[in-house]
Amino acid sequence: MKGGYTGKILRVNLSTRTIGTIDTAKYEEFGGGHGIGSAIFFDLVGDQLPFEAFDPRNLIIMMASPFSGTFMPGSGRCEVQGMGPMLYPVEWFAHSNFGGRFTAQLKFAGWDGIVVEGAADDPVWINIVNDKVTIESAKGIWGMDTWDTQEEISRRVMPGLRYGEWAELARDQETTQSPAVVCCGPAGENRSRMGALLHGPGSQAALCGFGGVFGSKKLKAISAIGTGDVPIADPKAFMAARLWFRQFQWDVDNPREAERFGAGGPYALISGRPSGGNVLNRELPLTPARAAACASCPRGCRMRLATGDSNESVCAGTMVITVNGSVKFTRQGNDLMQKYGLGHWQLMPLLSYLEALHKKGILGKGKQIDTDLPLDRPGTFAYAEAVMRAIAYREGIGDDLAEACARFAKKIGRYDQDVNDGTLSLAYWGTANHYDPAIEAEWGFGSLLGERDLMLHQMSNYPIHWMAWSGDPYLTAEEVSRLYTDAMVPYQGDPFMVDHSDGPTGIYSDSKVKQVAWIKHYEKFWIGAGGFCGWRWPMCITNNTADRRGATPEAEPKFWNAVTGDNRTFADYMELGHKIYTLDRSIWTLQGRHRDMEVFPDYIYDRPSVGHDMTMYIDGRWQYAKGTGRTLDRAKVEDFKTRFYKFEGYNPENGYPKRDTLEKMNLGKVADLLQTRGKLG
Amino acid sequence: MADDKKALNREAAPKKRLSRRDFLVTGGAVVAVDALVAVTPAAAAAVPAAAPAAATYPASKGYLVYDSRKCAGCTTCMLSCSLVHYGVQNLSRARIQIMQDSFGKFPGDVIMAPCRQCKVPVCVQSCPVGAAYVDTENGNVRRIDSAKCIGCKTCLKMCPQQPHRTVWVMIDGKGKSSKCDLCLDTPYWDEKGGPGGKQACVESCPMKAIRFVAEMPDQKETEGYDVNLRNDHWYNLGLVDNSTIEPKRNPVWKVGGGE
Repeated sequence: MKGGYTGKILRVNLSTRTIGTIDTAKYEEFGGGHGIGSAIFFDLVGDQLPFEAFDPRNLIIMMASPFSGTFMPGSGRCEVQGMGPMLYPVEWFAHSNFGGRFTAQLKFAGWDGIVVEGAADDPVWINIVNDKVTIESAKGIWGMDTWDTQEEISRRVMPGLRYGEWAELARDQETTQSPAVVCCGPAGENRSRMGALLHGPGSQAALCGFGGVFGSKKLKAISAIGTGDVPIADPKAFMAARLWFRQFQWDVDNPREAERFGAGGPYALISGRPSGGNVLNRELPLTPARAAACASCPRGCRMRLATGDSNESVCAGTMVITVNGSVKFTRQGNDLMQKYGLGHWQLMPLLSYLEALHKKGILGKGKQIDTDLPLDRPGTFAYAEAVMRAIAYREGIGDDLAEACARFAKKIGRYDQDVNDGTLSLAYWGTANHYDPAIEAEWGFGSLLGERDLMLHQMSNYPIHWMAWSGDPYLTAEEVSRLYTDAMVPYQGDPFMVDHSDGPTGIYSDSKVKQVAWIKHYEKFWIGAGGFCGWRWPMCITNNTADRRGATPEAEPKFWNAVTGDNRTFADYMELGHKIYTLDRSIWTLQGRHRDMEVFPDYIYDRPSVGHDMTMYIDGRWQYAKGTGRTLDRAKVEDFKTRFYKFEGYNPENGYPKRDTLEKMNLGKVADLLQTRGKLG
Repeated sequence: MADDKKALNREAAPKKRLSRRDFLVTGGAVVAVDALVAVTPAAAAAVPAAAPAAATYPASKGYLVYDSRKCAGCTTCMLSCSLVHYGVQNLSRARIQIMQDSFGKFPGDVIMAPCRQCKVPVCVQSCPVGAAYVDTENGNVRRIDSAKCIGCKTCLKMCPQQPHRTVWVMIDGKGKSSKCDLCLDTPYWDEKGGPGGKQACVESCPMKAIRFVAEMPDQKETEGYDVNLRNDHWYNLGLVDNSTIEPKRNPVWKVGGGE
């Protein structure tokens, strides 16, 4: 068997309550994770598209990668795929992912992934204990929050487990580990389009509403625990690679330039130092805490606290709810979001929108949109609890809010107005505006030409924008533009890929076309198929080496080839990423995607930028600049899209993939289906 | 800052619940052997008529100490151990075990459990066939010869630690005991191991939460092994184990404002 793979993918049909397998070998050409997931989605339901996300035909695909269960640094994430009910105006075939140890346990149990089809008639959960898989009744669990669900399922899976002891799953199957459980909360049970999946106390698959898809299938949870081997093709090379990688890590005992990179501020998130992802333990007196890592992550951006709250939550998982004057209740407010299973990256803009509507006198008791929600008490725990409970249980106005931002705005008749003027700050497919598309254009284009917010900070966002924003960049604008793009194989050597000016080599240029293509290809293969964390990879530069060079592009194939036994180059794998992106784009095309849909709301084009620190090539000189006041030119964006489609092998008139492009990628059957639908490019 | 640190001797380690096993070894002698016969039939048949009493063993010339407050729970050490010894990645094969409770409270949310290379190696003492032994040619490391192991599990049951530090693994389809050999025998890693050499867990731990020491740690419970391996750089990240500690670099969020 090839290294890295267990050889089989679990296939569960909840309608017929049958359990089967898919041979991984059939899909190995797609790498793993996202690539295999997309291929399975196409094979199983591609010809039935379009249909709705809550249709039982929709799939939940949770794929591991060849790296899952190994010590490949920063590869502990689980890719979730299916049609996403959060997305708008079409519930695109989409992806979300979460960290922790779920895919590791799945691999140890002997599975490369899970495909869930159909819908149960009564609530169920899936129990995976090595090769024994059962569909269990969720009686007594359905209705629980995500934390209680995981603890109760752990008890049911391993009733004899005592923390700190060995337990025997079956004869000769011993472990000290507890089951890894992923579940939906009340929000998902009630088919909220904001429903997230939770694993552990704070690891969310936040985007796309897959918690709601779990709920639509009456699937409460999936639990995995295993004691088996993950085979490694070249163990010596893999060990050598892991030790080689230490040079790129934060040296906890003797960090490089500790005063500069170890302080609070932007470097807390981007320097690779432990913890720093939880923003709720920064004020004195500090709560005793540890840095808590996902499986195999050398950074450990999360925390577990002596108070037990805010455990393993990071970034938006600690930032959506603010209770004025109380860090304690702020932590617990965010934890409540995790318990309800509400997607943080949708709840955040929704809360802002409610506040805006209230201030405008539109929303409130006795107002045009009548509600009892205590909108006059923002910043209190009571307010946060009331809003989240209403959404999770679809109480009162919560029934509309549970439809997520875009559809709520549509329901109250304000979508066009509020989205286009930015009152409701959505930017791409119903997901929130994240980084200014007028300046950090690749984030905007990468999202628009995808299906949701890009959410890949290790592209030029952390390394360049955040470094510049810190006020103390460790590379000059010229140095970083060269070093960063040196790593962008196969397009290396073009520093203008990170020119964020609006000049001839800037955000509308052919160089930017290449950067966006690179991002999509890296996203699909290394992040998606490799299970990489978007906070760790790619690593084009780093503050942790003397010459500031990062591990990309040497590390990725070094590890992949050692694990799998393949012998390909970084560029080869990037072309696989191109293939996976093209397959995804084909599925979106079957769902109705056309280039005319790939446009931002008006405010993204028209509202002058407030400024956003980035590298810019202005008047023949590299510099960090903000681009304050810039607007996005519609015609130039359209021209950019045209060149992007051509670059990727798609028809610029409609954005559809072309036959020769697909056939070169061994995707002829995809071309055939597109042709029968009249959508071949 | 961090005045409470006591390198290699932390007083605040979580206390392990005392169990019957904890009283099995006192003064260098195994005083209870009834558990020895309450194992598998193979073990019962192989049990010597009288268990050796008050045997003495040369001290190991190497030990692993660790800092359970520094551990981030990434399990890299476990997977490194599994890889260098077996060529695969498998937490259940790891001779160091890390357990964690994601919903728990620091510091009790992590338990680190490497072999202690005990002064009185009960695994060696109790093995009915001599598969567990003191390797006098290699720094007196306590080892298990899997070729000799009959799979009776006596060493698993007699290990005085919770969880037991002897590990049950499948080798060529047969269940065997294994244990930490300080990386003396690593078919999948071309490094010299054992005392004076390198250990995969020590080398790979990104938090530097495991350290090799030559001096025998205090044998009392966990304190001697679960030590403080943090320095000021750690506390300055805001990762304190005491709310009175004020890091030199206050981790309050500050933004410079760009160039």
